[in-house]
Amino acid sequence: MLRFYVWLYVAFLYAPIAIITLFSFHSSPSLTFPFEGVSLRWYAKIFSDTTFLNSLWNSLIVGASTAAITTVLGSLTALGLARLKGRIQTVFGLLAFGPVALPGLFLGIALVMLFSQIGLQRSLVTVTIAHVLFTLPFFIEAVRSRIEYFDLSLEEAARDLGATPLQSFRLVTLPIIGPTIGGAAILSFALSFDEFIITVFVSGNDTTLPLTIWSMMRRAVSPDINAASVISLGLSIGMILIGGLLVWYQRRLALGARAKDIET
Amino acid sequence: MSTSNIVELYGVTKAFGALTVLHDIDLGIREGEILTLLGPSGCGKTTLMRIIAGFEATTHGRVTIKGADVSYLPPDRRPVNMVFQRYALFPHLDVFDNVAFGLRLKKWSKERIREAVQHMLHLVQLDEYGSRWIHELSGGQAQRVALARALVNSPSVLLLDEPLAALDLKIRHHMLAELKRIHQETGTTFIYVTHDQDEATILSDRIVLMNKGRIEQIGTPEEMYAHPRSLFCARFLGETNILSGAVSATDSDTTYVSVGAGTAKVPANGTAVLLGQSVSLAIRPEALQVSRIGQGAGTPGEAENMLEGVVEDVVFMGSRVLYSIRTPAETIKYQETRSVDGSMLARGERVRASWRPDAAVLLTR
Repeated sequence: MLRFYVWLYVAFLYAPIAIITLFSFHSSPSLTFPFEGVSLRWYAKIFSDTTFLNSLWNSLIVGASTAAITTVLGSLTALGLARLKGRIQTVFGLLAFGPVALPGLFLGIALVMLFSQIGLQRSLVTVTIAHVLFTLPFFIEAVRSRIEYFDLSLEEAARDLGATPLQSFRLVTLPIIGPTIGGAAILSFALSFDEFIITVFVSGNDTTLPLTIWSMMRRAVSPDINAASVISLGLSIGMILIGGLLVWYQRRLALGARAKDIET
Repeated sequence: MSTSNIVELYGVTKAFGALTVLHDIDLGIREGEILTLLGPSGCGKTTLMRIIAGFEATTHGRVTIKGADVSYLPPDRRPVNMVFQRYALFPHLDVFDNVAFGLRLKKWSKERIREAVQHMLHLVQLDEYGSRWIHELSGGQAQRVALARALVNSPSVLLLDEPLAALDLKIRHHMLAELKRIHQETGTTFIYVTHDQDEATILSDRIVLMNKGRIEQIGTPEEMYAHPRSLFCARFLGETNILSGAVSATDSDTTYVSVGAGTAKVPANGTAVLLGQSVSLAIRPEALQVSRIGQGAGTPGEAENMLEGVVEDVVFMGSRVLYSIRTPAETIKYQETRSVDGSMLARGERVRASWRPDAAVLLTR
C-alpha cells in the first residue's frame, strides 16, 4: 500500500511537467487528449514572438549579472566568514543565511519602498539588485560548506614557499575552491532565472521570462505557453544539475581528503 | 651572540591581546644543528617557530637570519621553509608539482626544476612517486613529500612543526631515523618543534625546553637529563623521583637535606641555599640501588641517602622492570634492567633504596 503511495507521489510531482512537455509538442492547439501528432509548431511560434524573445534575453542578462555580482560578493563573504572565529562566526553565518527565510512578498515590498525612497527607477537594474539579494544567501551557504574544509595552512604553505598573497590565492586557494564557486554561480543564475515573486514588485517596463509567461497565461491559454515553459524549465534544470553536481563533487573530494587525513 | 649562529632572536615578546605567550626570548640557533623547541602545549614553542617563519609578527624584539634583520619580512621573503603539522600538501597538484612549487615561483628553467625535484624525491626515497596524487599517499609518504617540498628550496633553516604527530608509533620511529639521515646528507639547520620528549632526545643536538612562554633550560639531551635546573625540567625529560625536604646543613662542597626520617647528601652545585630552605631532590629511577632488607645489610655509614619501603607495584617491560616503592616520604619509582636469571622483587617485599650523593640533583624551583 505504501509502495503504491510512492508511485502516486511521484506521479503527482511529475505529471504536470510531463503533460506540459508533451503538449508543447502537440500538432494541434487542443490542450486535451487524444494526442493527435507531434510537431514543433509551438516552438516555431514562440521563437518568432518578440515579447518572448525580449524577455528571454532580459532573463539571461539579469541572470548573468546576478551570478557575476553574487559570485564576487558571496565569495568574499564566505572567505571572510571562514576566517572569523567561534561565536562571531556562528552569528554572522546565521545573519548571512537568514534572508532565505524571508517571504518573497516581504522582500519585494521592502525593496520597492527602498528603491522609491532613494529615487531609483524600476528597471532591469533594480531586478538585478533584488536578485543578488535573493541569491547571495544560497551562494554563501554553498561555498561556505566547502571552505570550512579548506585548510588555511595551505595558504601559509604557499607563502612559505615564496608566493605573494596574490600568488597564493591564484595558485592554491582558487584552484581548490574554484569549482565550488563555479557551481554556486550557476546555481545563482538558475535561481535568478526562475525568480517570480520579488521580480513582480521590482521590475519596470522590461520584464523577465517568468513574468512574460505569466502575462501570456492571463491573455489566453494558448499552446505556445507550453513551449515557453518547457524552454524555461529545460534551462533551469540543466543549470541546477550542472551547478549541483559541481558543488557535490567538490564537497565529496574535500570530505575524502579529510577522511584520509584522520586515517593516517 | 656568536657568529656561527644562523638564526638569532633578541628579546622576542609576543602578545595576543592581553595574553602574553612569549616573554623576552633570547636564543641563538647554530648553523647546521638540530635544535628542538620542546614543551607542553601552550608553552609558546609553535608561536616562536611561526615568528621565525614570518607567520606571526613580534610584539617586541628582533629576528635575524644569517645576520640580516628579517623582523619585518613576510614569509615569502625569508630564507626558511617549513614542514607543517598536517603537511599542508596541495591537494590539486601531484607530488612532482608540489615539490616544484617553490622553484616555479623562483622562475627556474623547466630542466633545472626537473633535476632538482628528482634529486629531492630520491633523497626522501620517493623516486617513482612524482605523478602520484596527494590523496594516494600514506601518512609517512606525505611526510616525505612535505620534507622534499621544503628542502628543495635549499632553505638556510628548515622549520618542522610537530611533523610526526600525525603518524603512528612505528612509522614515527622510522621517520626520526630518516630525519637524522636527511639532516646529515643536506647539512641544513633544523628547528624542530615537539611536545614529545622522546623525539626531542633522540633527534636533537640541543633542546630548548620552554614553559609558559619562557625558556626553562637549554642544553644537549644528556645535559638536560643529567642536570635539570628546575623541577619542571626534571619532570619533563624522562621519569624522575622528586623528594622534597629542607636544608639541614651546608658545607663547602656538600648540602645536607632532611628527607623523611633521614638525611640526604648532595654535592653543592653552586645553587645558593639557606638553612631550613625547602628544596627538592631529583633522582632518576635507574640511579637507585635497591636491596631486600635483611640481605647484604648496609654499614652504618650508608644510613644517609637511603629510604626504606615496601614494593607496591611491579611492571615488567621486557628488558626493564619498573617498581613503585612506597616509603614514608614519597612513593618512588625504581627501574632496573632485567637480570640474567630473571629474578625480580615481589610485591609486598620490604626493601631499602639508596643512591650515590652525585646521583641526586638539588633543585630550588
